[in-house]
Amino acid sequence: MPAIDKEKCTGCRTCQTYCTVDAIMFADKKCHIDPHLCTECYVCLRMQVCPEDAIYAEELVGFYKQFQHVISDPVENHGVTGVTGRGTEEVKTNDVSGRVKKGWIGLSIDMGRPGLGVYLRDAEKVAMACAKAGFKLAPQEESPLAALMPDSSTGKLEDGCLDYRLLSVIIEGRCEEEKAKDVLRALKNVEKEVDTVFSVGLISRVDEKGHCKALEFLDELGIPQPHRGKVNPGMGKPLSKD
Amino acid sequence: MTHSLHRSGDIDSQKKDYVWFMYQTKGINDVNIKPKALEFIAVAEAVGSENWGDVKTGPKLRYSIEEIKDNISDKSRLRGIFTKREQVVDFLKQIKEKDLGMSVIISGVLSEVIPACREAGVTPHSINYSLGVWGRKDKLPDDTTLAITTMCGHHMIPPKFVSHVIRRVKKGKVSPEEGAKMLAEFCYCGIFNHIRCADIINKKVAEEDKG
Repeated sequence: MPAIDKEKCTGCRTCQTYCTVDAIMFADKKCHIDPHLCTECYVCLRMQVCPEDAIYAEELVGFYKQFQHVISDPVENHGVTGVTGRGTEEVKTNDVSGRVKKGWIGLSIDMGRPGLGVYLRDAEKVAMACAKAGFKLAPQEESPLAALMPDSSTGKLEDGCLDYRLLSVIIEGRCEEEKAKDVLRALKNVEKEVDTVFSVGLISRVDEKGHCKALEFLDELGIPQPHRGKVNPGMGKPLSKD
Repeated sequence: MTHSLHRSGDIDSQKKDYVWFMYQTKGINDVNIKPKALEFIAVAEAVGSENWGDVKTGPKLRYSIEEIKDNISDKSRLRGIFTKREQVVDFLKQIKEKDLGMSVIISGVLSEVIPACREAGVTPHSINYSLGVWGRKDKLPDDTTLAITTMCGHHMIPPKFVSHVIRRVKKGKVSPEEGAKMLAEFCYCGIFNHIRCADIINKKVAEEDKG
C-alpha cells in the first residue's frame, strides 16, 4: 500500500490534492496516509506527485488488501474476469455473450460511484437486499465481487472483508423481467441504509428504437427515465439472437 | 464496467460527449486481437477521435500512438471519445463495413446515439441505461466538479485537483485547455473528454468572475 516516508516528507501537502478519496492526513507538520480511508487506487504513486519522492509502496499483505488494490486500480487486471480493475463485460459484449437474454433484465450497481468510495459492508447490504428480492447475483467468472461471496444466492460477503474500503465495486446480476420491479423497489429501500452513493445501470435487450419493457414501470417506481445509455449495436460475432 | 455510462452535467454539454469501445468477449473472440484493434484505431483516427487509449498503456494525450499500438495485447481494452454525432455515424459505418466481429459500444445521450445508429445502418441489440446516482447524494461534490470527475468513470481524478486546476485557470497561470489536459492525464482509459472539460472550466471561471 502507499505510505509516506516521514524523513523525506517536508509537509508541503501537495499530495493531498492528488488523493481521490481524501485519505492523506496532515499532522505534526507531516503528511500520512490513513490506512482505513485509503482505497489502494495508487494515483498518488502513479502520478509521482511528491516533489521529495517520499511516497512509496509497501507490500500488500493478505488477499483482501490485494483485492482492494486490484479493484480500485483500473491498471490492474482481475485474474478471473480478465477485465481490468473493477470492470465487468456487462452490456459491452452482450451481443456475443448473450449474458442478458430477451425476457431478462441485468443490473450493474456501481457501489461508491461517483467518487465517494465504498466499504464492503455497504456493498453487502445492497447485494443482500437485491438477492432477497429475487436477483441472481453474477458468479465469479463474470463479477470480481463474487470472489468474496461464498453463497451468491444470499449476497452475504466474507466477514473479514467488510471493513475494507474500495474506490468502487460493481454488484452485477440479472433477473426475469417480471421480477425487476421488486428488485428495483428493494434497491430503493436499501439506498437509505448505506453511507455512500451508488450508480445504477439497467441492462436489457432492446427493439430497433432502443426501447425495452422495463422502462415502462420506472415512472411507477418514481425512477426518472434514463437519458444516457451504453448502446451495443450488435456488431460482435457470433451474434447472440436470444 | 460502467465508467462511461454515468456522466453528469447539463444535457447540451453531454451531447458533445460520446464514448466508443472495442470489446473482446472472454473465451470467444479474445485471442490475437491486435490486428483488429489496429483496424479500430485506424478508423477512430480517421474520424478524428480526440482522445483514445488502452488502459494497459494510457491515453494518447499522454503517450504516443505508436507506443500504445506496440503495447496492445489480448488484455487490452480500446476506448476513446468523439465530440460530434457525425463522428459516431462515420465510425459505426466504417466499422460495420470492416466487419471485424468485435463488440462495439457507443455511450452517450440516447436521443443522439440511437438516431446515430439508425443513420449508420446498425440496430441496437442491447442497452445499459443509466438510472442515475442513488444513496447519499448529499455527500457528493458540486455539479461542476462532478461533471469533470465523472468523465473518468474509474474516478482517478481527485476532486481537489479539479479545484486546483480551476484556481490556476482563474489566476491565468494555465489556459482552460491546458488545465483540461492536466486532468486528462489521470484517466488511463483515454475516455476523458478534454474538449468538453475545457468548456466546463471556461464556463465555471466566467460564472465566478461575474458573481
